[in-house]
This record gives sequence, structure tokens and C-alpha cells, in this order.
Amino acid sequence: MKVLTPQGEKIDLLTVNIGPSHPATHGALRAFVALDGETIAGTVTEIGYLHRGFEKMVEQGTWQQVLPYTDRLNYCSAILNNIGFCHTIERMFEVDIPERAKVLRVLLSELSRIIDHVVCVAAAAADLGALTNYFYLFNPREKVYGIWEKLSGARLTNTFTRIGGLYRDTYDGFESEVASVLVEVEKGLDDAFRLLQHNRIFIERTRGCCPISAEDAVSWGWTGPCLRATGVDRDLRKDEPYLDYETYDFQTVVGSTGDTFDRVMVRMYEIKESISICRQALTRLRPGPINTTDPRLILPGHGKAYHDMEALINHFKVVFEGVCVPAGEFYGSIEAANGELGFFVVSDGSGKPWKIKVRPPCFTQFAAYADLVEGSMVADAIACLSSINIIAGELDR
Amino acid sequence: MSQTATTDLGRELVPANAQSRKAFQDQAFQILSSRFEGILDPADRWGLTVILPGPKLHEAVRFLRDDSEFQMDLLLDVTAIDYLEYPGHEEARYAVVYNLRSQRNAARRLRLKVRVEEESPSVPSIHDLFKIANWQERETWDQYGIVFAGHPDLRRLLNHIEFQGHPLRKDYPARKRQWLSTNDPLVDPMVARLKANGFSVLEAPTANAPSVEETDLLGKVSREQRNNVEKQS
Amino acid sequence: MGEGAKAAPQTTSIPLTQQPPVAALHQDAGLNQSIVTTSIDALIGWGRKNSLWPFTFGTACCAIEFMALAASKYDLARFGAEFMRFSPRQSDLLIVAGTITYKQAPILRRIWEQMMEPRWVISVGACASTGGFYDCYCTLPGIDEIVPVDVYIAGCPPRPEAYIEALLQLQDKIQDSSYMKDRAAANHQRIQVG
Repeated sequence: MKVLTPQGEKIDLLTVNIGPSHPATHGALRAFVALDGETIAGTVTEIGYLHRGFEKMVEQGTWQQVLPYTDRLNYCSAILNNIGFCHTIERMFEVDIPERAKVLRVLLSELSRIIDHVVCVAAAAADLGALTNYFYLFNPREKVYGIWEKLSGARLTNTFTRIGGLYRDTYDGFESEVASVLVEVEKGLDDAFRLLQHNRIFIERTRGCCPISAEDAVSWGWTGPCLRATGVDRDLRKDEPYLDYETYDFQTVVGSTGDTFDRVMVRMYEIKESISICRQALTRLRPGPINTTDPRLILPGHGKAYHDMEALINHFKVVFEGVCVPAGEFYGSIEAANGELGFFVVSDGSGKPWKIKVRPPCFTQFAAYADLVEGSMVADAIACLSSINIIAGELDR
Repeated sequence: MSQTATTDLGRELVPANAQSRKAFQDQAFQILSSRFEGILDPADRWGLTVILPGPKLHEAVRFLRDDSEFQMDLLLDVTAIDYLEYPGHEEARYAVVYNLRSQRNAARRLRLKVRVEEESPSVPSIHDLFKIANWQERETWDQYGIVFAGHPDLRRLLNHIEFQGHPLRKDYPARKRQWLSTNDPLVDPMVARLKANGFSVLEAPTANAPSVEETDLLGKVSREQRNNVEKQS
Repeated sequence: MGEGAKAAPQTTSIPLTQQPPVAALHQDAGLNQSIVTTSIDALIGWGRKNSLWPFTFGTACCAIEFMALAASKYDLARFGAEFMRFSPRQSDLLIVAGTITYKQAPILRRIWEQMMEPRWVISVGACASTGGFYDCYCTLPGIDEIVPVDVYIAGCPPRPEAYIEALLQLQDKIQDSSYMKDRAAANHQRIQVG
């Protein structure tokens, strides 16, 4: 592509497609770049390669059937999506879930956040050639998957929560397993810190690489760790506490320059905070019910359904019609691993959703990607992409 | 963006509670109804949704963003709702919804809604107020066919270039599949992008994507035939 | 080894999968164990199956499980397929892990076309095999609409063990395919055309 540069020099730009199938794109993304040597003169990004029709599919089934689809939004932390959706619907019903369910949800949220950040940090380092972190961090992650398996039967896509509570209670020895996993995560994280934090190669590759100012980040709609890396101290767990997050003692991690280094480090320190929240949640775990008793949401149970006419009807209606969410429009959100995960729900009062729009956190981050990388080198663009942690499932839905 | 220093965004925030939310909603509704002819949306029984007339939208969003009382500086989401055959719905078929939040005050969340008629679904674009609005409006156009007047680059975002129709409209059958023969070469957006970056393009390449015949998938059934087959459930 | 893939080629009397790939050490001939005899098919199959170079076409959740497969616990390297190549020109095994949409389909097809023969395809998980529960306007109902598939893996996403099982099945299939027959067929075709 023959162009005149802003300085009036006549040059030939090379156009290259990075993606949609490229080892560094972590999924199906496409960045079409025009290169002046190694410097990126222009970028056009294209998404939709994993657009699998979440919003159309959920309109076909019942409210409960939405849950498996939410798993596959951000598949690195599926339980967080489950919790986000169930929490939104419960707020529409204005029901409260029992204490044990709340504590368990916090515990599972933070474990999910840990493994999500682990994937991001490991992949970011691996993209820069630091493959050892990948092994150090993925070993404890496998242990977390072991816990997920015992809880729900699935490693990745758990569908563990239900509207009004949880799928089931924990198994014997759950607490001690979580406690031992936390120790292993800590060890893996310490190893990764030792490898990265003062590693000259890592610092030189990431410091000052694709920075963004706080103002721009807000205008781009950024939330979550990437926004906090620019110095904006915002976290829904603190600002609009849900699941009693205000009673847990933790810090929000804030960066300063908003460059790639900050984005990776914010995630790594957030793992530490999440470990601390998990430990606090473990001490609060008391036996008790895990589901609300609201008959609009929860089946009455076999004992009652067999002997009680009303309970039988209730059972029939919840199974056949599904949960009937009150008519109206509502937006509910939680702090997911990547930022504010919102569900904009429109209900007509029937057992089928009228519309559910997901507000995916990494959509906003990838929208800004073209602006972030222009003017930097191709290698920086790769480092930047892995640090903003694009999960194609929630980006394209 | 309003010209505030980074330190302003970094300060400690007071968590939102029911009282502060209520106070904000009352204040916001008062201003929006008196200055921008906003009316309360009864569909939102949990928070505040204000229905605005289309021509007032841009001005109202600019006011909410820049006013020091409100500082609604985060556009969370733009989407549309198709009310076709919604029980008891008598207004216009579509509505475009803007979810706004303030990064400076946790209690400030509100939603704006513009009703859009079926005949000419169009609302003013707010891409100049929020950078993210560009993509969000593109997505809404792609999925619902609502035109954002003044948008610089209203292309499809999620669906492919050969897609016909708008899938999230209620009258689009969920299983109506559409094949793609070849991908978007993206040359035109790149030329526009380079111009915006200060380059002047002397010679743009012709799209060098393979021809339709070359990538015809398996070639046994024509694309038209495939598209017409609606898979039975 | 799997029971299913044991159709014996005509050149040998016992199924190749049961035959040691490098057979019958000639101790009697006084050659001091330096010469072995085997069929060319067995040797080439043995070489091919233990040096698969996978190209991971990972798009969604299944690709995350693939990352687990490459990490220490499941360790794909044990099966001679650890050398991940991200260029289709350098690989012979296409692992399609994740949902393929219509937007993605031409790219998948082009990548498959760019791979050298012989090439194999593993379809990972419900989405790649059938479209899964995404039965709607944008998802391809199974990649076998556009590329031939050798092994399908069930699961959403499949466990890493299922990937390993698929790889073993594919290795059986490769061992049982006949290089000589393929070459003869190609020669025959060339003569016919010429």
C-alpha cells in the first residue's frame, strides 16, 4: 500500500493479517495491520469469529436453560458467569439466598478469579517466550479443576449455581482441599513473581508498552483489572457490594501507568487478594441450607411433592413453565475477572426470556486495541493483546 | 471526556447504598424530565429508566457526561429491544437502550431509552461522546438494524459481510443459516484508518481475497441452496 | 490399542497393529543385529504416527482444555505430538477445538487446504462435531460440512484424557493406512491422465 507519511515521505506499507487463526491471538480475533518496517501504522480489528448467537439461543429456552450458555461466555471462569446471571435474576425477584450459599458463592467466585488471572498471566508470559510460568501456574490450576470436578462433575463448564442458590452442597473434605489448593496457588504465584517481577527481559518488553491514560480508558468503557492498571480505583465488589463483599477485608490493586506491565502485575497481585478472600470465606463456612425456600424459584423437594398437592403443582409448574421472572427490564452486574459483567434482562413475565444482553467486559478492551497498538512494534502488540485478556467467548457471545 | 485529573478518578469512593441511589435517581429524573422532556419508564421497577425523545438524546447524554453534578462518564452498553408481539405493548416496535454509570460515584446508574418506529429505525449516534459507542452502535445495527445517524462507519460487527437481515429481530428465525464464501478484506476501513492517522494513501491495493469459486465450501451444494435450507429442529 | 482399527492389509498375514513395527531381527544371518526387515507400510506408518505435528485451530472453550493437555499433568509430549506448529504448511494434524461459525468457516477450509498430505483432522467437542447446543443462525452444524474428519471427540469440552484417546485412535488409523497402496493409486491415476 503506497502512502505518504505525515512527514511527506513516500513509503510502501506492508499489510498483514494477525489472526483470526494466529498463535498470539488467544482465540478467534483478527487484527489487520499496515506495517512500516516493524512499526504499526494502522490497525483495523474485526471480531465476530466466535459469534455463536448467545442472545438468540437464550430466547429459545427457559430461564434455567440460560445457565449452560453463561458458562461458555468467559470459559476461563465459568462459575463467575453463573453467579453473575443468577445474581441478576435473584435481584429481579428480590429474594435473598441463604448465608451458606453466599459464602460459597464468594469462595467459588474468588477461586474462579484466581484461575482466570492465572490463565491470563501464564499466557501473557508465554507469548513473550517465558514458558516456565505456564507450568508453574497451571499445576495449581489443575488442582482447582479437580475441586470443580468433585463439586459439579465438569472441569471447565460447571453450571454450578442455580437461580435461588446452588446446584448442590459441597462434598466431605472440600474445605481442606480448598485450603491446600490455596497454598499451592500461593507457591506457584511466588515462583511466577520471582521469574517475572524483576526479570529484565520481561520488564523491558512490557514497561511502557501500549499504555493508556485513565481518561481514555474510561471513555473506552474499560472496567476491571485493565482499568485499575491505569490508576482508577474502581471495583464493584467495593463500590456496590454484593454477596456481602463489604464484610471481607481486601484491597483493590491499582496500577499507575496503564501499560502492559501494570496490567499483568495488577492481575498477579489480585490473585493474592483473592487468596485472602478465599481464606476468610473458608472460616465463615457454616452448615446450613444452600437454596432459598421461595417456591417461585426452587423445587419443593421429593418428600413434599409426593405427599402435598400444592407442592406437586408447584413442582410441575417450575419444571414445565420454568421460573417466571417478574416482567420488566433490569440491568444487574458483578465484578467478573475481566471487569464489569452485566446482564441486561427483559422479561415479559413468562417462563422464557424476552431478551438477555450480556455486557462483556473484554468487548470494551478489544475495541480500544487498535488505538493502543498503533505506533508501536508488532511484538508489543502481541504483548499488549495477551495482557488485556480477550476471551473470545464473551467478546463475540 | 471531562477534563479531570487522574487523581480525581483514583480517590476513595463511597460505596453505594439504597439512600444514595434514591437521591440520585430523584435528582436525575427531575433534570431529565424538565430539560429533555424525559418520561419515566414503568418497565424498570428496580432502578431508573428515562424515555427520551430521539432528537434530545445526544444533548442529554452530553449533559449527563459533562455536568459536574452527574459525571456519568461510563457508557456501559448500547443495545436495542424488539417488542414485536410483546404482551400488552402498544408503543413503537423498537427501543434503543443506553446504560450509563458514573466512575466517580458508585450510586449513579441510569438507563436511557429511545423509542424507535419500525418504518425508519433511526437514532442519533453518540460516537463523538464516548469512544466505545462506535462499536456498541455497530453491534446494535448489526443485530437489530437500527441506524445510528451520523455514525462514521456503520458496518456489521459480529455477523459476516454477506449476512442478510438482522438476527436478533424477533421475526428472524433462529435457525436460518447463512453461509459465507469469503472474508472481508478490510481494505476500505484500513484506508480510512490510515487517513485518520495522517497518512495519505496513494495507491490502495485491490482486495486480494480469494474469489468465491476458489473457496466455495465443498462445492456440492450452491450457497443459495444451502441458505434456503432451514434446518428443522 | 483400539479394537476397531484392525483391518489387515493384504501384504501381511497378521494385523499390522499387532505386529512390532520393526520386525524380525535377523540374528541367524550373522548380521549381528544390524539389519531388520519389515514392510514399508509398517515402517512409514510407525514413523508418521509417532511424529504428528498438530496445528491447533482453537477457537473456544475446548482450546482451554487443550492448554491443560499441553501442561504438565496430561503432557501430550508422551505421545509424540507435542510439537505444536502454528503454520499449516508445517503440520499434518488439524485439531479443531471449538465452535466454528460461518464467519470462521472459509478460514478453516483454507487452512486445511494449505496443509500438506497426508493430513488428518480431529474434531474436538460437541460444537466442532455437530454445532453443539448452538443451533442457530451463525454456527456451522459440524465441521464435516467443510473438511473431512478422522476422529470425533465427544464432550463440552472433552476432558484431556479424551484428547489423548482420540490421538491414540488416530495413531491406530495412521498405522493401518497403506502408503504403498496410496502411491499405487496415485501412479495409476497419473497414467490414466497421461
